[in-house]
Amino acid sequence: MVKVRRSENRSGYLMVLPYAVYFLVFVAYPLIFSFVLIFHRWNIVTPMEFISLKNFVRLFRDELFFKSIINTLIFLSIHIPLQIVVALFFANLLNQNVKLRGFFRALYFLPVVVSGVVVTILWQQLYAYETGLINQILSNSGLRKIPWLISPELAMPSIAIMATWKNVGLYIVLFLAGLQSIPRELYEVAEIDGASGLQKFFKITLPLLNPTIVLVVVLSTIGGFSLFIEPYIMTGGGPMNSTLSAMLYIYNQAFYFNHMGYAATLGFFFATIIFIVVFLQRKFIEREVY
Amino acid sequence: MKNFIVLILTLFFISCASDVDKNFKKRFENETPKRVHLKYWCSANPQEIELAKKLTEKWNELHPDIQVEVQPLPAGQSSEEILLAAIAGGTTPDVCSNIWPGAIAEYVKAGGLVRLDEFEDFDSVISARKIPRDLLESFRSSDGHFYQFPWKTNPILLLYNVKIFKEAGVEKPPVTYSEFFSVCEKIKNLKIGVYPGYTDTRPIWWQRFFDFYPLYISASGGKTFFKNGELKIDTISAEKVFNFFKTCFERNYFPITNFQVDPFLTGKIAMRFTGPWTISYLERNKPSDFEYSFAPIPVPDDYRGEVYTYGDPKNIAIFSSTKHKKEAWEFVKFLISEEADLLLLEICNQLPIRGDLLENQKFENYFNRNQKMKMFARQSAFTRGVDEAPEMKEIFDAISHEFEACSVYGAKSEREAVRNLVKRIKVILEWSK
Repeated sequence: MVKVRRSENRSGYLMVLPYAVYFLVFVAYPLIFSFVLIFHRWNIVTPMEFISLKNFVRLFRDELFFKSIINTLIFLSIHIPLQIVVALFFANLLNQNVKLRGFFRALYFLPVVVSGVVVTILWQQLYAYETGLINQILSNSGLRKIPWLISPELAMPSIAIMATWKNVGLYIVLFLAGLQSIPRELYEVAEIDGASGLQKFFKITLPLLNPTIVLVVVLSTIGGFSLFIEPYIMTGGGPMNSTLSAMLYIYNQAFYFNHMGYAATLGFFFATIIFIVVFLQRKFIEREVY
Repeated sequence: MKNFIVLILTLFFISCASDVDKNFKKRFENETPKRVHLKYWCSANPQEIELAKKLTEKWNELHPDIQVEVQPLPAGQSSEEILLAAIAGGTTPDVCSNIWPGAIAEYVKAGGLVRLDEFEDFDSVISARKIPRDLLESFRSSDGHFYQFPWKTNPILLLYNVKIFKEAGVEKPPVTYSEFFSVCEKIKNLKIGVYPGYTDTRPIWWQRFFDFYPLYISASGGKTFFKNGELKIDTISAEKVFNFFKTCFERNYFPITNFQVDPFLTGKIAMRFTGPWTISYLERNKPSDFEYSFAPIPVPDDYRGEVYTYGDPKNIAIFSSTKHKKEAWEFVKFLISEEADLLLLEICNQLPIRGDLLENQKFENYFNRNQKMKMFARQSAFTRGVDEAPEMKEIFDAISHEFEACSVYGAKSEREAVRNLVKRIKVILEWSK
């Protein structure tokens, strides 16, 4: 009996071994190493130098880092509401009995599976001031060209629109699942009571979709905070640092200036901010659903 | 018996002879040093590869016991990154001739370079090149030693289109900022779709070597950012330069755009700041009736004295990974000989850092054939490089951001830009101490 249990144990350990190795090598080790880096200055070449809390002193005086956080928050404030409204709208449409429903569901999901770099390069060409398709259409229709990516005020909203287009398919699927889990009887009862379409949406659909909304908000917040590929490829953080996201700034510090210790400090600080924001979101948005 | 004696004597002589042969071989082996192999990295542009190949071929011919293998710097984002990675990985060459002074501090900190003034004849080699004292001192490291040998310079000057100048009624190139603006105004008034000037507005750190930095050096009379290791930015000159470019963009003298094809060659712009390498490029690609010339960098209206500029120097260093210091130093001396300097001029159109360029008869013929290079040669004594301070790349990145905000977009005043710049540089330096 004991023997059997031991062999069971052994095979159990063997089965979790791949994940344990993965976890140790790719999660635990980098995490511990970057924590050690917080107190060091290291440019990969010269030996690590212990500088105690100097990285934090620089962080709190680094105006560009705080600008990059504000830029990221601006991005989130456009991206999340836009994402929810658009996703909810299309999820509602696709939840009706429309023709080619499966085809449309697949179509909206397509940008999610296409590589982010490819999408970004395509949108960069669409947004180009002189030669971009959007501006060509605008000027052919007698309208003024829009400086999508070269105006400091418009560059971040332009990126947010693109990011929404890219990710909305995933959230449509999540909302669809949420919509289908709402019991039909509730709508039938409401109809008998004479509720209008809008009333049904605001009194039944929206409250019962709360868990999905929380999930979408949390997922898109975390995704939005890690905004990197879009500004890296489209604008390099410009014009005037208006699209410099926090992740792009951390990347520049690490791999452009070789400030590994400082980048690790920024990374940890930024992770703390994400944790606080997500914690607050859950506290204020999450509701009990019957 | 007689035969026997002859046989014995023959055998004796043969054995003696083979003994002599053995001894000779032994002695020869002891006296002949082993063949030394050196690895030399040069810049990866075609002209410099050609120069390096010619020089090493000649060296290998003259020194069969010290064979040098030349390799262009491996491809990467910048040569500084590649060299740092090579130091980290222990794959540095013995000698490299593409050392940017701004990165020396990091190489020295990483223990990657050999002190060159430890060689007995260093002083005499330096004095043979007659380098102006103040220019030479700018290459001395903060510990008082030399880790780089000043090799070549590419002074940045004002390039202009002679034909457009004539059309606009401009008789001589502008000397001061107000003269520059009045030339711009005349060109703008031609209304032929030509922008008076141009500079790349992207906030890439090294782009500032072709706009802000040469103008800062000229406005400040040859100052850089540091003095004796201390940050000493000439804020007034920096403000003047930010304001100069701000005016250029505000008045639409300079466009905020990137061109797909060279705007100078296609006559879309009349002026830009560039170095002598442009000459061979323009000569190869210009239309038959295209005329161009160079002038010193414009200075503020109240500036008096010699006009300085950024010299874009690249130097030679020996890496401490070498097992043959002495031989490497001998090779370096060969690379900076008069013959090698002449080849540098002939093949690459780049100037050796030496004080006798226009007096030395060796180069006379070259300068007579290349009159445009004479102006660069005259300017080469009045050049400055970048300070050997840590984090120069990030400092120039900070300049780029202020340049973009203040000069290109006019979003802040020049005073604010300089104040922010100094503040940010201080944060960077304090952290790196």
